[in-house]
Amino acid sequence: MREETALTRTLALDTGEWRGHLAGQHVDVRLTAEDGYQAQRSYSIASAPESPHLELTVERVEEGEVSEWFTEEAHPGDQFELRGPIGGHFTWRVEDGGPLLLVAGGAGLVPLMAMLRHRTARHSEVDARLLLSARRLHEVIYRDELGAFATDPGVEVAIALTREQPSGWQGFDRRIDPAMLVEVGPPAAAAPRIFVCGPTGFVERAADLLVALGHDPRAIRAERFGPSGG
Amino acid sequence: MPPVTRGFRRRRRRTVDPARIPPGQYAVEDFPVLSAGPTPHTSVEDWSLTIDGAVDAAATWTWDELLALPDETFTVDIHCVTKWSKFDTAWTGVSVDTLLEAVDTGGDYLTAWCDGGYTTNLALEDVTDGRAWVVHTFGGEPLEAEHGGPVRLLVPHLYLWKSAKWLRGLTLTLDDEPGFWEAAGYHNRGDPWREQRYWDD
Amino acid sequence: MDDWLDGNAIAGVLVEIFGRDMTTVVRGCPSCGARHEVGAHRLYRGAGLVLRCPSCDDVALRLALADDRRLVTFQGTWSVELPA
Repeated sequence: MREETALTRTLALDTGEWRGHLAGQHVDVRLTAEDGYQAQRSYSIASAPESPHLELTVERVEEGEVSEWFTEEAHPGDQFELRGPIGGHFTWRVEDGGPLLLVAGGAGLVPLMAMLRHRTARHSEVDARLLLSARRLHEVIYRDELGAFATDPGVEVAIALTREQPSGWQGFDRRIDPAMLVEVGPPAAAAPRIFVCGPTGFVERAADLLVALGHDPRAIRAERFGPSGG
Repeated sequence: MPPVTRGFRRRRRRTVDPARIPPGQYAVEDFPVLSAGPTPHTSVEDWSLTIDGAVDAAATWTWDELLALPDETFTVDIHCVTKWSKFDTAWTGVSVDTLLEAVDTGGDYLTAWCDGGYTTNLALEDVTDGRAWVVHTFGGEPLEAEHGGPVRLLVPHLYLWKSAKWLRGLTLTLDDEPGFWEAAGYHNRGDPWREQRYWDD
Repeated sequence: MDDWLDGNAIAGVLVEIFGRDMTTVVRGCPSCGARHEVGAHRLYRGAGLVLRCPSCDDVALRLALADDRRLVTFQGTWSVELPA
């Protein structure tokens, strides 16, 4: 297990025989309390299909009984039920080609990171651009790994910090808007495959902006985190 | 038996007098928003309520006409089939008894129909004798669209899916005609005290 | 703003019912004629779950989720493309 930020944690799971997954898919987890009470949630798979272990990154949600268990309580050796991988609509394989435009809001980065990790594992040169929106720098998951993409010419990472920026911050300091999307690119004429993931409001806004910039709505795949559950 | 997840327990919820909690329910403090579809936004200028169907003559009220009817402010507990219950909710509205005085009917049932296409069916005896209202105010404030405003039906002794949001009419019928959820696996009547959630309960 | 999720959100339940991932299945909407993957439909949560066409909100299916059983009610005509 790794602490990613103060509010999120990545867990590597021992799943026995895992039949593999595609980047972007998720799993359903179910926890059972001693009195038989059960709660179920969905979490995106953070690890690339090529990774030896299945990894989930869970963000602590306020008043969330399941996310609280994952981020505060879970110990190696603890058990829960897992169903998956699930979802064929929000997936990307290197064979699908690019260019790739990934737009993430907060913990929506998780499935998109799986896509980038898959790209790296396959030594792909597909042009990939990630635009991540987070409130503060210390809430950015996988910060170091995102920084390491600076040495990969095919990947561009842009971060928008919407609430607080450290002094000397070179990235964006506002919510995503048309000018930002144009700057990050690629343009609609390049026909990118677009994946947007995050809270419902963020995804709606991003998708609307992308369509307004001329991107084909059918090229945009979206995954929304609902407000309930956690 | 699935593996027990060490250290996992349900979130503690405020305890209420157990006699007020129907079987299988838990108490909430917030007011969850659940909807079978997009939220309609009907202005009060465009809104009207109609009682029709197995009646001698249909009756219709505009928003102003509804507000001119005698109304009540009352407090009830509400119970959702998704297992949450909310206690001491305060509403203001017109009793369905008052509205039914405007029509003559031989029907024993009604279908409530709504902006957005939602329907639910009820026996007349479940909405008369002070058991149901059409409400426009919640907690002293105008009913918000996400909770069914401008006007929703309120039938607190049954599960909340019977309290149709975005109400526009009541069609009296001779036979019971299953509505949106009743035709899709939910119980025809929906009494939370007898835990009538699904078709075979 | 309406609170709906993508059809992906019930992918797990649909696997239980159909034994395979249904999110890439394409449904032709009888109401507006549009064709969309199940994963692109809109999932609303009321007493049960409702899946609607993202173009016109026509109801595609309703799902009653009891603790120990499920009932799926399909609406309209589903034209489903499956790989051979």
